[in-house]
Amino acid sequence: MKILGLDTATSGCSAALWDDDTRDDGVPGGRVIVQRSAPMARGQAEVLAPMAQAVLAEAGVAFAALDRIAVTVGPGAFTGLRIALAAARGFALAHDTPVVGVTSFEAIAHGLPEAERAGRAVLVAVDSRRAEPFLQLFAPDLTPIGDPAMLEPTAIAAWLDGLWPSGPLLVAGDGAGLLRAPLDRRADLTFANGDGIPDAAVVARLGATRPVGGPVDPFYLRPPDVSLPKAKA
Amino acid sequence: MIVLGIETSCDETAAAVVTDAREIRADVVLSQLDDHTPYGGVVPEIAARAHLEHLDGLIRRAMAEAGVGFGDLDAIAATGGPGLIGGVIVGVMTAKAIAAARGLPFIAVNHLEGHALTARLTNDVAFPYLLLLASGGHCQLLVVEGVGRYRRLGTTIDDAVGEAFDKTAKLLGLGYPGGPLVEQAAARATNPGRFALPRPLVGRPGCDFSFSGLKTAVRRHVEELGAPLSDADRDDLAAAFQSTVAEVMADRCARAIARFKADHPQGGALVVAGGVAANKTLRARLQILADREGLPFVAPPLRLCTDNAAMIAWAGIERFRLGESDPLTFAPRPRWPLDPTAAPVIGRAGVGSGVKA
Repeated sequence: MKILGLDTATSGCSAALWDDDTRDDGVPGGRVIVQRSAPMARGQAEVLAPMAQAVLAEAGVAFAALDRIAVTVGPGAFTGLRIALAAARGFALAHDTPVVGVTSFEAIAHGLPEAERAGRAVLVAVDSRRAEPFLQLFAPDLTPIGDPAMLEPTAIAAWLDGLWPSGPLLVAGDGAGLLRAPLDRRADLTFANGDGIPDAAVVARLGATRPVGGPVDPFYLRPPDVSLPKAKA
Repeated sequence: MIVLGIETSCDETAAAVVTDAREIRADVVLSQLDDHTPYGGVVPEIAARAHLEHLDGLIRRAMAEAGVGFGDLDAIAATGGPGLIGGVIVGVMTAKAIAAARGLPFIAVNHLEGHALTARLTNDVAFPYLLLLASGGHCQLLVVEGVGRYRRLGTTIDDAVGEAFDKTAKLLGLGYPGGPLVEQAAARATNPGRFALPRPLVGRPGCDFSFSGLKTAVRRHVEELGAPLSDADRDDLAAAFQSTVAEVMADRCARAIARFKADHPQGGALVVAGGVAANKTLRARLQILADREGLPFVAPPLRLCTDNAAMIAWAGIERFRLGESDPLTFAPRPRWPLDPTAAPVIGRAGVGSGVKA
């Protein structure tokens, strides 16, 4: 099964082709055929479509031959996450290809090297371009714990204590730096190496495991910044 | 030649299928009006979210209504700017993806060029012609010499004309959007000649516009009349505002016509485009002017004056026929003046240079 993965949800732009070999009995398998990525906080609208084209051209796979498109749905930068989502929907329209969504949290958590995770729970923090990072906690087997959240830095330690009071913890994501001060009293805390940006190859690999058919909606986690005009007295 | 057009630059999500035989095979528009009305204007982030939510469904509908598949298309055209960038990006990315996946040319269309060339889709108007582009974000007089060849004769030095309608509607307690609400109120006026409003720049040289003083005059009348305005006061003021706008536009157009005739003695039409061109009083006033000047007057059907994707598909066809298309590296443009040689005017940044209010 050939899956094109796309990500522009945070400060990167990546596209990858994953050939999935997961067996009928559920044993996962597969390989990355081609992947490309570039760090960038802006400008993904210029880069993504040619990048996806180049990935497929290098792999010698036609858009029509894709079995799926997998895309990061957020959270992250509002405009950024819409870039890959709109592209995914366009690719999907063109050849009636199914689309599946993966959250930025899942992509980042599953992109961590196993050796680095080494039995630790994982806290993913995505930069919201505000003081409050987007957060999600995962158990050591990467099962999500609790709901995604967007919290004031001062509220993060208590929130974390409620979900995962103790035990080794790995913090990842491009918003991880914002957690150093709020979590400075936490024991057995490690900050992950790497850029903390979702990788389209991981998005594609995760996409292989997702059911198709449902709507693939953006995951903003924060409403638009707008307030209703004050009523006149 | 069959082209799919996509429009997402403001608060209408739209898709259309148009042929080079000037045939609109499908033209679907989803207005986000209800999403924005509570805020009294277009909220960019709300607009961008709504574009993403609805665009692929609208494209499917347009293709089905046109009875074509992606294999029947010759190109994909999308608004590349100017406009609210979050929305423009949604349309551009969708178009680029379809183009890449189907191996089709991608054409990034200037939204203003879409309005400017609509009269060629609807009425087959020949170049050159004089264009009054009047909308929520723009108020310009341009000589349209050819595809991609625009010479600006005048523009607003403060508010766009549609913006003036919106602000006036707000002052009169009519709500949003101002254009149709002011027009409806004016139609109910029992004494439309009751208020005399200033006519900014009328009689002055040049072809520029100014509307902020007019809006201020309306505010002064509202304050003098005292709250709450009676229905009669409100409707009479709306009528005064609308007829003054029409007079100002006619005066500025008359000057532009003189310059146009001097440069192009072989003639051409007076064309209106943009959402404000849907105003019937303005259309009637410009018809009188064009008759007097011996120019044909062309006003596209109301539905093609407001934002739509048929005009984007058509502008794409016009450019594609000349061998033009754009690379998939095209960067969406929040600003994109039709006449890049025209100096930006004083006043609020962006007005007249391509940013929608």
